[in-house]
Amino acid sequence: MRAERGEVPDEPPPFLGAWRRVYIAVAVYLVLLILAFYVFMRVFS
Amino acid sequence: MRPLDWVVLVGSLTSIIVYGLYRSRGSNTVSQYLLAGRSMPWYAMALSIMATQASAVTFISTTGQSYVDGMRFVQFYFGLPLAMVVLCATAVPIFHRAKVYTAYEYLENRFDAKTRALASAIFLIQRGLAVGLTLYAPAIVLSVILGWHDTATTVIVGCTVVLYTVMGGIRAVTWTDVQQMLIIFFGLLVALCTIFVLLPDQVSPLDAMHLAGFAGRLNAVDLSFDWDNRYNLWSGLIGGMFLALSYFGCDQSQVQRYLTGRSIAQSRLSLLFTAMAKIPMQFFILFIGAMVFVFYLFEMPPMLFQQAELSRLQQPALQGQYQPILGRYRQAYQQRRQAAFALVEARHRHDPDLERQSVAAFRQSQRELDAAREQGSRLVDRVTGQNGFKDTNYIFLSFVTHYLPPGIVGLVIAVIFAAAMSSSSGEINSLATVTVVDIYRRHVKRSGSDRHYLWASRLATAFWGAYAVVFAGYGKNLGSLIEAVNLLGSLFYGSLLGVFVLAFFFRQVNGHGAFWGMLAGEAAIFAAFCFTGISFLWYNVIGCVVVVAAGLAISYACPSSAATPSTAG
Repeated sequence: MRAERGEVPDEPPPFLGAWRRVYIAVAVYLVLLILAFYVFMRVFS
Repeated sequence: MRPLDWVVLVGSLTSIIVYGLYRSRGSNTVSQYLLAGRSMPWYAMALSIMATQASAVTFISTTGQSYVDGMRFVQFYFGLPLAMVVLCATAVPIFHRAKVYTAYEYLENRFDAKTRALASAIFLIQRGLAVGLTLYAPAIVLSVILGWHDTATTVIVGCTVVLYTVMGGIRAVTWTDVQQMLIIFFGLLVALCTIFVLLPDQVSPLDAMHLAGFAGRLNAVDLSFDWDNRYNLWSGLIGGMFLALSYFGCDQSQVQRYLTGRSIAQSRLSLLFTAMAKIPMQFFILFIGAMVFVFYLFEMPPMLFQQAELSRLQQPALQGQYQPILGRYRQAYQQRRQAAFALVEARHRHDPDLERQSVAAFRQSQRELDAAREQGSRLVDRVTGQNGFKDTNYIFLSFVTHYLPPGIVGLVIAVIFAAAMSSSSGEINSLATVTVVDIYRRHVKRSGSDRHYLWASRLATAFWGAYAVVFAGYGKNLGSLIEAVNLLGSLFYGSLLGVFVLAFFFRQVNGHGAFWGMLAGEAAIFAAFCFTGISFLWYNVIGCVVVVAAGLAISYACPSSAATPSTAG
């Protein structure tokens, strides 16, 4: 089978305008999540 | 199980199967059967990906693991969002544009047939073994509820799943997963609320969280770095990212899900949604396990949660050894119960000194209880002649069946069954896809009709289902199933990931380099497994690095096979 490049369009994301911004938002979300877990653990131990 | 539970259970499962088969209409070509005609929306793919990952093992084993070991397992998923971002930027567009059925098909485009065949074989071995464990988990459910032996329940559950999988294509599997995830979220929420309701009146949810924290059950983040420590922030971020890259980028059971997307954007959104939702969901499941632990502070848990082994110890011939351990266990439990109540009381009085003393007494009694339980487990070892008895997988089920009200028990059991069926069917479907597309169509019969390959896919599905049922018999000897599944994956994923890294990013690497690099990576992983104490999360990193290094070195040393241009970008 041969790759058929270019036949599948790369659409922009439905929010934030560009995929790069969506990726950064996911990374920021991860950092906030870990911080929240850490605070949760400290508060209850 | 009471009549209402059976009504909820049978009703839930029947609706899932009927809905899945209804959604499978039109799956009468290979493309429809294996890729749903590349027509799926992002939310269906996302929920399907999560449902496939959230197997029965997740509910049975993760909650039990949290009960005995705390919530540190959640760190295992910290690398997932990073991996998803990398995959969205690389693998998703590449696979979509290549219009492949399997990830390994792409490797022949990029390298050669032998590299594709080796990668396919590694996947078939790894996933073929793991699917057995996926099947074993719901068998535990039936064995606890009905008192049947594991083997009988494995065969019954396995045959049901195989029948369902053969009849429905991936479209049925995906839409069924969507329905199942909704049931799963609802069931989990109901289970947690019920636990809070069952706590003693003077113990609030806030008190419960403090008790869990004092017992070390809320240890969600560990900042220390230790190669031998299975779960800490760093192994989760780095090792977890590599494992997630391997799983979602190289494992056909996941790749096949986002290959069904109607566009690159839809597939990307499905992975990113999974990245956002998976960690909170896993945290929530582990939290339920921690709250089950708190519940059992005030209600005496059985010394062993596996009823069959407990009954074995209760035989008259073993009373001389069993009774002293039971006496120690009961005494330790009463001390812990008193200490837990004293701790709650100290917290309510806002007396720091009393609270410190209560915490010390509570932890001491917890250690004593753990020691008594460990003594019981070792007695099982001596009686059965086996080593390392663990009943982690029975803890949550024992709680569900003994303490949840009628109807809720049926719902939770339905959740576990639904998850098991979903994961097993998805895995078996992907195994059949690789067998037919990468092995049969590539090496055995290259010019069959579409109908021929459709039936070949169905037969391959039946074969892998039978294989899974046979292997499931070994599941009971593997301790925590969730760890066993991930350990098994880590033994093979690193080299698969390495070869895809070579394919995407190193255009100078040729087929020889990729093929021998994969073998070198596997050798390195098994050497680490056999001769070192390195945590399994690092195997993926080791395997990937060795494959890339060996692939580059061999390609420079043996440039005979012409390198093909990278299709990345």
